[in-house]
Amino acid sequence: MRFGAAIDVAELAAGIVLAGAVLALWRKDLRALTSVLSLQGAALATVAAVLAVRDGDVGLGVVAGVVLVAKGLVIPYLLARVVRADPGSRETSPLVNVPASLFTAAVLVVVSYLVAGRLTALFPDPLTRLAPLGLATVLVGFFVLVTRRKAISQIVGLLLVDNGVALVAFLLTAGVPLLVELGASLDVLLVVVVLQVLATTMQARFGHVDLDQLRELHD
Amino acid sequence: MSTAAYFIGLGAASAAALLGAVLPARRRLLAAAVLSAAACLAALVGAGDVLVSGHAFSVHTAQVLPLTGVDLSLDPLGALFVAATAVVGLAVSCYSVGYGVHATPSRIATATLPAFLATLLLVPAAASVATFMVAWELMALTSLLALLTDHRRRRETRDAAQWYAAMTHIGAAAILLGLVLLAAHAGGQSFAAIAAHRRQLSLPLTSVVFVLTLFGFASKAGAVPLHVWLPRAHPEAPSPVSALMSGAMVNLGVYGILRVGEDLLGGGEMWWWLVVAALGVVSAVFGALHAAASTDTKRLLAYSTVDNVGLVLIGVGAAGALAAGGQQALAGLVLLAALFHLVNHALFKGCLFLGAGALQHAAGTRDLDRLGGLARKMPATAIFFGAGALSISALPGLNGFASEWLLFEGLLQGFASRSAVTVAALLAGVATLAITGGLTATAFVKALGVGFLGQPRSEGAGAAREVGPSMLIGMGFLAGGCVVLGIVPGVVLPVIDRATTAGLVAGASRAIRPGLGLALASVHSEIDPGLLVGGLLVALVVAWGAVRLAPRSAELRSPRRAAAWGCGRDLQTARMEITATSFAEPLQRVFADVLRPDHDLEVTHTAESRYFPEAITFHQRVDDAVERVVYRPVMAAVAWWGHLARRVPNGSVHRYLAFGFATLVLVLVVLA
Repeated sequence: MRFGAAIDVAELAAGIVLAGAVLALWRKDLRALTSVLSLQGAALATVAAVLAVRDGDVGLGVVAGVVLVAKGLVIPYLLARVVRADPGSRETSPLVNVPASLFTAAVLVVVSYLVAGRLTALFPDPLTRLAPLGLATVLVGFFVLVTRRKAISQIVGLLLVDNGVALVAFLLTAGVPLLVELGASLDVLLVVVVLQVLATTMQARFGHVDLDQLRELHD
Repeated sequence: MSTAAYFIGLGAASAAALLGAVLPARRRLLAAAVLSAAACLAALVGAGDVLVSGHAFSVHTAQVLPLTGVDLSLDPLGALFVAATAVVGLAVSCYSVGYGVHATPSRIATATLPAFLATLLLVPAAASVATFMVAWELMALTSLLALLTDHRRRRETRDAAQWYAAMTHIGAAAILLGLVLLAAHAGGQSFAAIAAHRRQLSLPLTSVVFVLTLFGFASKAGAVPLHVWLPRAHPEAPSPVSALMSGAMVNLGVYGILRVGEDLLGGGEMWWWLVVAALGVVSAVFGALHAAASTDTKRLLAYSTVDNVGLVLIGVGAAGALAAGGQQALAGLVLLAALFHLVNHALFKGCLFLGAGALQHAAGTRDLDRLGGLARKMPATAIFFGAGALSISALPGLNGFASEWLLFEGLLQGFASRSAVTVAALLAGVATLAITGGLTATAFVKALGVGFLGQPRSEGAGAAREVGPSMLIGMGFLAGGCVVLGIVPGVVLPVIDRATTAGLVAGASRAIRPGLGLALASVHSEIDPGLLVGGLLVALVVAWGAVRLAPRSAELRSPRRAAAWGCGRDLQTARMEITATSFAEPLQRVFADVLRPDHDLEVTHTAESRYFPEAITFHQRVDDAVERVVYRPVMAAVAWWGHLARRVPNGSVHRYLAFGFATLVLVLVVLA
């Protein structure tokens, strides 16, 4: 079958998306996180490209290009700028330590396979079977949001959620319209810009970007 | 004609609210008052036309409310309540001019009074669940705003507003639940559709609906144990507002019970109405007792409202029970008596609240212990307040007597009923009427005697002067109504009877024979208060003449000079006179188990000797036992729960995110 290899590539790329999410839990170095995001964006674009080739859908091809530019290049670049402003910044003390986080990630992957089983059963297809990977990415990204303290980690968590959503959308729907993906990508870009400004201001104002310290603003 | 007049009334009241909000300070009071008086007149004409002709009108417009539209319809039952509101509103509008002259009320205060009036006129005309709930909530909202007028100066006002808001909100939620349940099962939300489908409804469903709505309406009517907002809100509201609240808004609670129980659900089970009557008995006795023990004029009046609503509910409950037992004619009579009493209560309680406002205005206090001697300083107010007080004490020749006589007569007729439970309920009702009659008389002898007679007990009372003409006209109008309805009750009874027929669906008959007095159709029993009063007057004149003309002994005619030993009467000071607290003391002692007065006696001694007290202070509070026993524990539990819940959101962004995350995972796991 001529298309078999392409499907293998897509499976690999989807795996990389999830692996990127788990890596984000693992690495404490914030600079490494930006490279992880870059990698993930490229993998996402690959999945879209494979789908575009399989379906012969030009629009989806353009979407793949947009994803590659936005999620693979622009957003990681913006993040890297924030990280450079605070060199040597590390996620020193996450609310849940790394081994426990990795274990939780494993549980979340199992949960998403259980949940997505009913979705994939609707249309059994080699690519649809990959949907649980996207769902797991969403959950892991959310977990990053919950347990990591630095503002930059929060942005990363948000982007992981977004990438996971995008992956699920690619795999489960019959092609994401260009307009929708364009809108979503621009939204995320805007969020990143806003958060970048916020993080920079926090850095300048309070001398740190630790969200937990914001608790005093309560009441 | 009735439609146009009614809508002109609504429009004028809304315009009054608008003008009150936008006009400059000097003009707005008068403009709002004139427009709302015109609104009341128009609404009175509209409602009167419906009552006299017996023809209801209904209007539907899809424009105002999305999805459901607005249904308005005025049948004789609703028209009676509109008319009562309009009469009180007319007096209040007039009174508000003088009331606001010295300290011009704010824009919001000027605007909320007509707005409140408009909603009061609107509620009885609402003819669908959506319209009714919107009107009902508008009424709650505007009355709350009106109540809050003095919130800047008085902490008690804010307290009272919180109580009122909470009670009215709980009540509205219960009503909404009940009516929505009803509409869902009756296949339509307009009252006409519900009434047409009531035969298809199951009994458990209608019972649940009735109990839910009864809870809500009873909280608005101020029936014990849902009355707690009343003795707080009525004293704290400005007097025009308390007159409207007590004279008109409270009635609408009774209206709701009748509308849902009799009109929409068609009478239902006997036990429904026995519950209503039981509420009435408890409210009447409890309210009358507290009224007799209160020393604050407006608090006294508020508790007396609880008492009178109780009497009306006894009548409504007895009528419902009799109708459910098949005695339609008697049920009609009892309901007629109850509605007549409700109208009378609107008149005399409106008059009394306006009078209490005049006292507060003139003497600067509501505390009876600090008033006194006002009859000489404010003769007109004293006469009007006296007329109201005599009416509420049910003295012949005044309207309170007419309706209570009718209620007594109706309840006593029912003793021939076959149902033992009904007879027991009627017996309880008669006993309640008897005991509350005595207690009410005590309360108002106290209010009149201590407030208006004797010597002034404070500088404020000493410096009091008669209030302005507009306030007197407002009070006089209602007092005149009390006298007219007292002497010739026969003129309004046929009109109220029409509302009774509309309220009691199952074929009520004409309960009274036409005439100026009170003449029952079913049994031979009649009384003509006009003749009674005429006879009494003649007797008085004869007695007076006899005393004047009788030959006197020489000893009596010789001059008498005051003795050297004046028995203390030579120097009579205000401190020697009986106060409201001391007047109520014996009664308080008898009913100590219910009233539970808190005494606080504090004696400070002189430094030299413990045998010589320097000062003795005595405090007494009569708190509401229901509030203490029922509400305080509930409030404490809610506060504790609230404290507990405050620990959950601690300001940590991560904790909030974790809630979302946990919920997401949980939902996914449940779905899988």
